[in-house]
Amino acid sequence: MTARRRRGGRADSGIIARVAHRYLFEQMVRRELRQKYKGSALGIVWYVVNPLVLMGAYYLMFGVIFKATSEPDYPLFLLVGLVVWVFFSQAVLGAAPSLLEQGALVRKARFPRETIPGAVVTVQLITFLVLLGLLAPVTLAIRGTLDPALLMLPVILACLFAFVLGFALVVSVLHAYFRDVAPILAAALLPWFFLSPIFFDPGRITQQKAAVFALEWVNPVAPFIVAVRDVLYGGAVPDAPVLAYVLLAAVLSLFGGLALFRRMQAELAVVV
Amino acid sequence: MTRSVGFETNVRPGEIVLEHASRSFVVHADRGRTLKEMLIGRARAGGPPPVEALKDISLQIEPGETVGMVGRNGAGKSSALRVLAGILPLHSGRVAVGGQIVTQLELGAGFGRDFSGRENIYLNGALHGLSKEQIESRMEAIIEFSELGDFVDAPVATYSTGMFLRLGFAIAAHLDADVLLIDEVLAVGDEAFQRKCEARMAQQIAAGATLVLVSHDAALIERTCERIAVLDGGEKVFDGPVHEGMPFYHRLMGTEDPVPSP
Repeated sequence: MTARRRRGGRADSGIIARVAHRYLFEQMVRRELRQKYKGSALGIVWYVVNPLVLMGAYYLMFGVIFKATSEPDYPLFLLVGLVVWVFFSQAVLGAAPSLLEQGALVRKARFPRETIPGAVVTVQLITFLVLLGLLAPVTLAIRGTLDPALLMLPVILACLFAFVLGFALVVSVLHAYFRDVAPILAAALLPWFFLSPIFFDPGRITQQKAAVFALEWVNPVAPFIVAVRDVLYGGAVPDAPVLAYVLLAAVLSLFGGLALFRRMQAELAVVV
Repeated sequence: MTRSVGFETNVRPGEIVLEHASRSFVVHADRGRTLKEMLIGRARAGGPPPVEALKDISLQIEPGETVGMVGRNGAGKSSALRVLAGILPLHSGRVAVGGQIVTQLELGAGFGRDFSGRENIYLNGALHGLSKEQIESRMEAIIEFSELGDFVDAPVATYSTGMFLRLGFAIAAHLDADVLLIDEVLAVGDEAFQRKCEARMAQQIAAGATLVLVSHDAALIERTCERIAVLDGGEKVFDGPVHEGMPFYHRLMGTEDPVPSP
């Protein structure tokens, strides 16, 4: 009983609590990684197999059956966009019910609740990086896009993670209060997918300026897809407006998401 | 949404401060609200009025004090304990608890069923803000206390109820508590293990920990606590030395209706 730690201030909002709970976050990520597919033959490999199957199906549909556009090396064009989308959609879909799924913990223990959706997003980030690690070398080799522009990739990915994390915090805490959020999200993601520039380039499928503008800028996921594809598939630094959008979207999403989460989290032990 | 009061930790380790603490609950048939209800309007017509679980309770507990909290079912004991644990926010008033809080509320909460006992020790330690090294330094002591032996590496899904509770208590007993919050409801297990838990609790108190014990067991309270707080209908109706409080408590339980009228 000698080593007593004196924690000052409000533990739930202080940086001290965050540091003290660093190991908790690591534990939650491990738990999340192992729990879902525990007992299945392939185990955590499913985390990579599932998106691969999904991507294979989309490739079959848009790359082979309905060849939408005449992009060169179309499978790579499609897959680079798809891998970004799969990360976004799987992370927010997983995060939405996460606070309810961990209800036993939320009702009984005091700890920074952000760690729960945070762990879900982090697990999906790991999957995403594995998929990207498989896809990027192939893309760079076939497209010949090993260019200094590649140095932008970590920055873009960091922004993407911040954007997805902020979005996930919002949907998870909203779903704890209003149980319609996850079903609405699941329903919205399908049309959202078709409206995202994953299997097409907006400028090439329509001449209408307004439509192109809407497809490129109204959908907050679109600039992330464009930025990652510019670097990996195009071998070029994304345009300044795209980079600015990505940066701004990341900051707004993360800080807005955290602010909303902190405002709404107090009653979580009662509502979940 | 009602604004709730934040949980403060800026008092001395082991000190507990409740000032004019109030908390009510809106009773729903179903937990959670749907979007439709939110759009139509928050209050459901004809629903029961909010239940006032805690009404203007003030309680100052010094480091090292041992306090028994008693009262009928529904008197607010568990709500009070959840407030002190920082899980349930107040609607008004102030709550501050200093130092490392260890509760038995979360006994078993972190226990992913597919994970081994050992993995759950890591997770539970992490929930209390411990680092990996801090947990590992206590690992052997926890396993020994739990009497699980080789079962510690088996998934907790295979455990009996008793094994599960022993593991939970073993973890709680090794967390260097400044404040122990204990709800008797969970203190099960065979007699030998119960005695061991009580001895461990006494050891922690001797080392300076503050104890808040919720129980219906008058003998246990008299054995372990110097001070007693009696709650009734969400209000504190007695607070003082245990030898004065016990007769008061027995009178309260014996002379009134089991269901308090609002």
